[in-house]
Amino acid sequence: MLRVRFHGRGGQGVKVASRVLGTAAFSQGCYAQDFPLYGAERRGAPITSFTRISREPIMERGVISQADIVIVMDETLLHDPMAMPLSGLKKGGIVFINTSHSQEEAGAEYKITAWVITLDLTKIGIEMLGRNILSTLAGAVASRIAGLEEDSLRHAVEKEMSDIMTDRELIEKNIEASLYCYNAIPPVEIKTSGTREAGTVITMPFETAGVSSPAIYAIGNTPLRKTGNWRVFRPVWNYDACTKCMMCAARCPEGCILVNEEGFPYTDYENCKGCLICVEECPTKAVKGVLEVHA
Amino acid sequence: MEKTPEAAPVRSIKDLPSEENILPGTPVCAGCGGLLTLRYCLKALGSNVVIVNAAGCFTLLSIYPFTPFKSSWLYTAMACAPAGAQGVRDALDVLIEKERLDPEDDLKVVVLTGDGAAYGMGLASTSAAIHRNLDFYYICYNNEAYGNTGFQQSEATPFGSKTGTTPPGKTSPAGKDFPEKDLFEIWNSHKPPYLATISPAHPVDLINKFKKAEKYRGPKLFIALSPCPPGWATDPSLSVKLAKLSVDTGIWALKESVYGEVEHTYIPKSFKPVEDYLKLQGRFAHLFKPTRQEETLKRIQEMVDDYWNRYKLLL
Repeated sequence: MLRVRFHGRGGQGVKVASRVLGTAAFSQGCYAQDFPLYGAERRGAPITSFTRISREPIMERGVISQADIVIVMDETLLHDPMAMPLSGLKKGGIVFINTSHSQEEAGAEYKITAWVITLDLTKIGIEMLGRNILSTLAGAVASRIAGLEEDSLRHAVEKEMSDIMTDRELIEKNIEASLYCYNAIPPVEIKTSGTREAGTVITMPFETAGVSSPAIYAIGNTPLRKTGNWRVFRPVWNYDACTKCMMCAARCPEGCILVNEEGFPYTDYENCKGCLICVEECPTKAVKGVLEVHA
Repeated sequence: MEKTPEAAPVRSIKDLPSEENILPGTPVCAGCGGLLTLRYCLKALGSNVVIVNAAGCFTLLSIYPFTPFKSSWLYTAMACAPAGAQGVRDALDVLIEKERLDPEDDLKVVVLTGDGAAYGMGLASTSAAIHRNLDFYYICYNNEAYGNTGFQQSEATPFGSKTGTTPPGKTSPAGKDFPEKDLFEIWNSHKPPYLATISPAHPVDLINKFKKAEKYRGPKLFIALSPCPPGWATDPSLSVKLAKLSVDTGIWALKESVYGEVEHTYIPKSFKPVEDYLKLQGRFAHLFKPTRQEETLKRIQEMVDDYWNRYKLLL
């Protein structure tokens, strides 16, 4: 059995990526299982989804704690203690990272000893689909690493996209982009195993209501969560064109645009989620969205 | 019953109060129209408030051990935020009566719910609270569906919208094939002291409505049409633009009512066609592609025209 885990952020297409892989495997005669896992957070928040592929009926259920292949669709998650995408990767397993780095650079940067494969899916998504939705691209990469056929992938993308959209042109673009990603990854060989190592069960102790019912006594402490790593594009101000009208600061849903000593607006990049309302609303076009490059 | 004199109105976006009573780092989506609305509302209300939040997207605002608020926050089940507000109001009144709380330190009780709770599940408890003349604020951030669970139809979902439970198909090509409830009119039938619709694209109008509401004792109710990037399938950067278009096309009428007397606070000089608003949104994409649903588009425009004709305001 092959166990694949996808990590990304809400809105990137993590769930659909696992479905594309599952459907591709199913259409070439395998048994397949795919499902997402997310808590009470949404767009921008870490999301995980899973695909199991086997030639025998799959009796295993639940989240995949030990994966053969890990697909990291957003590399900022590698530093996120809530996501921990590399945990439980099996010996001989493969990590795919969506990054502009080469395989060697990414391995060194994130101190990964396992086999690393990289491709800049964000760039491909923006260039070929016009947006940062990477579902079919990540599904294609996973299909290639899992050793599935190109035709199965084409069929899976066609089916999954037709289920959720009516725009024929966009479906064709998705097929084209996914096949491009499929062929950009060299074929690999991966060992699979039927059994799963036994996990540990943590027993939760009984706590009285005073301990187990949480209450927050600090005020206004969410800035500590640093939602800045949700961004794909960062807003950048050109002060030559800025008239200090402060429309950007007024329109920011987060309220994280501040004023510097010279009276110009700037954003708190630690928490700016990159919605780019400031870019859209600036009357003098002094704010631009610049693709984040994770150096 | 008048309480305090009306504060001077704000004239432009530059005059908005600079205080921030909700801080960044919330777990809600990038470009959330509801969050922008709430940010403006709290600029008007200040930090001496208790927020009573019914289940919905904004449940996520305060997740242990974090809160974006400078004030207290109480979480209730979906249908009973106004009942929770009654309890908080009573407790504050008792403390003041027993001289354990200085009336100067009194807090405003603010109910915060989405349209699922306001238009649907919580309607009865809200009606009862208005009927009892409970002294509270009600802010409804209306994204026209159950957004927190993946965008299913609510009683605020408009005619023609695609949602998880109204997929366009052979039997109903328009998606949802009947219009939303008119919550403004339902609430207005109770003749509350103050009731208004607001928009995150019109913060000056919004702040002035709160300033005006302040002088009334009893229910002060606000409904905000709040763009929702994932549910409406729009780019997060377009949230303010969509809120503006909802007003400029006449789909979202900015109005207020004092003891049942309705007045429009902003009437666009010339109405834009509703298509300008609809075509930007994925939830209405099926009305344009693969074939244009002329009948449906015509009906949506007619419903908007009928509304404004009823008030004889269509120029």
